[in-house]
Amino acid sequence: MNYYERPTPLQEQAYAEARQHFAKHLKQFKASCETLHNIECNLSVTANDIFGVTPKSSGRVIQTDDGRHWQLDIDLTKLTSVCHRQTPAGLEFAVVECLPLKSTEIRDVLNSGHDVREVLQTFTRDQRQVLQVWKNDVIAQVREHLAEKYPHQDMNLVVESFDIKLAREFSRRETLAQNHSHGVRI
Amino acid sequence: MATIPEPEPKTIAQPVERLAYSVQEAADMLGVHYFSVYRLIQRGKLKTCRALRGKLLVPRTELMKLLGTE
Repeated sequence: MNYYERPTPLQEQAYAEARQHFAKHLKQFKASCETLHNIECNLSVTANDIFGVTPKSSGRVIQTDDGRHWQLDIDLTKLTSVCHRQTPAGLEFAVVECLPLKSTEIRDVLNSGHDVREVLQTFTRDQRQVLQVWKNDVIAQVREHLAEKYPHQDMNLVVESFDIKLAREFSRRETLAQNHSHGVRI
Repeated sequence: MATIPEPEPKTIAQPVERLAYSVQEAADMLGVHYFSVYRLIQRGKLKTCRALRGKLLVPRTELMKLLGTE
């Protein structure tokens, strides 16, 4: 693919249409990237806050699906919280997700350990992997949408533009797109 | 005089159960945001397959398992 290839009018039109069609996905992907970025930026502060609240304990107890009981310290997101519990080896920390489904609720320990900073780092690393899965799926959906809407047309340039747009949100490197946007305005 | 034949009783098509669903559809069935579905996929709680162009599909059996209705 020529990096300086200009999009055809049809590709321009397809890009604008697909962007509208996937507007909700793009907006939510961006918001989730920002949420994760904020957690990453405030990781040290959050870790210190947890040490601050741990001795006092919020009094809220969560029993996870594996039967363990955790004292809730801080909510990271709407569904995930940092918790702790006493073990013979000392305090154990965990990121716990409470996910209410239609018929049941999943209460999972996403990751745990004795170093709260490491627990938070593992959590953010895992969330980046989730965003990567999401990004790849959105790109596949864009590819499928374009193939159905514009059969027998080369829409690789449009798909690549979406890929770059999402990658930019993902990495938050604002300068990336300018040099590699293939002429399609993002 | 020609008589108009009575129309044959129409057979109502039974809805076919899908074998797999998109992430958005899976999220709707589970009653969660689709980011939560991607999280379940990432940690292996929901197994997926892929459509021809790479789109993730969640098998119906996996959803039923998670909802505890299988």
